[in-house]
Amino acid sequence: MNYFFQLVISGIVVGSIYALSGLGFVLIYKSSRVLNIAHGQIIAAGAFITYALTVWVDIPIYISFPMSMVLTFFLAMSVERVFLRRLIGEPIISVIMVTIGLMSILDGLIYLTPFGSENFSFPPFLPTTPISVAGVSVSWTQMVGVVITFTLIGAFSWFFKKSTVGISMRAVSDDQMASMSIGISVPRVFGLAWATAGLSAAAAGGIIGNITGLNFETLHAFGIIVFPVVILGGLDSILGAVVAGIIMGLVQQFASGYLDGNWGLSGTGEVMPYIILLVILLFKPHGLFGIHEIERV
Amino acid sequence: MKKKSMIGWMSLLVAVTMLTLPVQSLAGKVYKLGLSLAITGPTSDAGNPYSKGVEDYFNFVNDTKILGDDKIECTIRDDQYNNDVTKRNFEDFISQGIVFYLNYSTGSTLALKKDFEEEKMAVIPASFHAGNLIDSHYIFLPIASYSTQAIGLGEYIVKNHKGGTPKVAMFIHPSAFGRGPVEDLQKAVAAGLKMEIVEVVEHGKDLDNTAMLQRLLSKGVQYVISQTVQSPVATMLKDASGLGLVAKSFGEAGKITFLGCHYTGGNDLIALAGASAENFYWTTSYIVTNEPSPGATAQLELAKKYNRDEKAANSHNYTNGMMVAQVATEVIKRAKAAGKEITKVTLYEELQAMNGDKAFSPGTTVGPVTYSKTDHTGVDTLQLYVVGGGVFKSVGTPFIPVFAEKIK
Repeated sequence: MNYFFQLVISGIVVGSIYALSGLGFVLIYKSSRVLNIAHGQIIAAGAFITYALTVWVDIPIYISFPMSMVLTFFLAMSVERVFLRRLIGEPIISVIMVTIGLMSILDGLIYLTPFGSENFSFPPFLPTTPISVAGVSVSWTQMVGVVITFTLIGAFSWFFKKSTVGISMRAVSDDQMASMSIGISVPRVFGLAWATAGLSAAAAGGIIGNITGLNFETLHAFGIIVFPVVILGGLDSILGAVVAGIIMGLVQQFASGYLDGNWGLSGTGEVMPYIILLVILLFKPHGLFGIHEIERV
Repeated sequence: MKKKSMIGWMSLLVAVTMLTLPVQSLAGKVYKLGLSLAITGPTSDAGNPYSKGVEDYFNFVNDTKILGDDKIECTIRDDQYNNDVTKRNFEDFISQGIVFYLNYSTGSTLALKKDFEEEKMAVIPASFHAGNLIDSHYIFLPIASYSTQAIGLGEYIVKNHKGGTPKVAMFIHPSAFGRGPVEDLQKAVAAGLKMEIVEVVEHGKDLDNTAMLQRLLSKGVQYVISQTVQSPVATMLKDASGLGLVAKSFGEAGKITFLGCHYTGGNDLIALAGASAENFYWTTSYIVTNEPSPGATAQLELAKKYNRDEKAANSHNYTNGMMVAQVATEVIKRAKAAGKEITKVTLYEELQAMNGDKAFSPGTTVGPVTYSKTDHTGVDTLQLYVVGGGVFKSVGTPFIPVFAEKIK
């Protein structure tokens, strides 16, 4: 029974990190209907900035971590300003193609730094002995990761529901022309969407980097790994990202835990989330919490 | 007047030609080589220092006139771990007239096997996949294959395990690179290597290995042999270390001893896993720079000469790149000494003649490089290392796995 509960806890931990990683996709899509293919590179950039501030500038990690979130906030905002602002009003496919180009540019820039082809790890700052209750363990890094994830997700949910800026962002997502007609600055909203996505990506990068070590390939792969999570949850739903993240985390852990090593199976944790995704999308094509828009002609 | 001027110009042209001819013949020959690898993109953490090792050694050969007035011109191209780009690079190198080719990944080596056969081009890849040698006459592994490495680790487990039959799990990359040694280790077990392979785990981008480690422990697994790259091993070691599952001494009861093949270890593993890498056992045919040896001194001096940083200088991938460049240089040197013209044919012949009293000791490996018509594996010898105090230290002396030969 302990094993079962261990899988549940591990699934929730992994799933919440997926949710945080996927949040950036949702934030941008929610306000601009754009899929940011370069999200993984921003996750990696956030992790590297945290490392550089912690190790090279010698700033304690509890300060360097929020600092890197702020820096990535502005970095993502600049990216939007330079590359995407002039595409407002252009077909979505053009904007997505630009994000693919952006991915290559960010890749190239990171390869110019030592982070592109070297490995690093954060200096230990949390107890190494995991938290264990009744034989179920979770590491301090993961625990802190979960707390940060839920704090950020709570904050973003509040922001979109209650704050004026958040409501403006939702309005832009709903109808750009109508939003402009009531005085909302669409370019400013887009910039903010990218900036907040950058902020969440830096948080995700910092957490993943602490768990896996800092390897560029591993970090930017999370931009793709969380893709089924946001599709399942619904591309424009923060709650969807959380629920889908946890579902995916649990499915992955249970598949690895109960299927791998039996009947000659291996690597099922990688495949099962996609099978579940396909099955759910058959019944809910817009994802679990995605908005189904009906257009009247 | 016109005629006089014409004669003047002609005389000048003849004089210039006469003067430059001896200079040209003194300049020596240029031997073209090619290397395509991932300097950026996936696995560039290995490819980048590897390319530096190759580049520095060939520069050293030219600067110190190891080949006299002749020079090696090795074009190094980044393929970003993309087989299509590797193929394009190789074809381009062929059109430039290369006499020797250095390749990189398992995937591209398998994909280009037929091209190497068609071009009759001797190739040394950075991949030690045993499958590279199947149906191939032109691929030469620089060191013992991943299969031999895994079997070597298995033999060490069997030799040093206390109690009954040791229970082993394999932790592998989900690719031909990772799966390669599984079947061969199973064959070794069938041939009498007294251990039980309980489970083969194909990893993904795992953020948590707690459940997997607990499952292995519940099945009585005491040893995990990894055949993958450093990052997933580092995550597993961090989880195992947090749970207190890492054996402090080899085969400690109730704990797991972690071991791995060439690309799981080296300083990159320590950089990723930090203190969790302690007591990780690793095998390769290369020397390490933190242990004094003539090869280590030569490597560090080479890296210093060409202004490489500490990380590159001490990387086992730099050693790897340097070693293949040493082998390529040696075959050119031998062909020259034998008075042969340097072509892909003569270099292929020299490579296959590298055995017996013609075995080559580059100093960067723990044993000699030997090739023959029937043996395309360079260094057969392996060395076991263990992480202690943040560095890899030798355990015992170099050895050749017995079962690797038995299952052939």
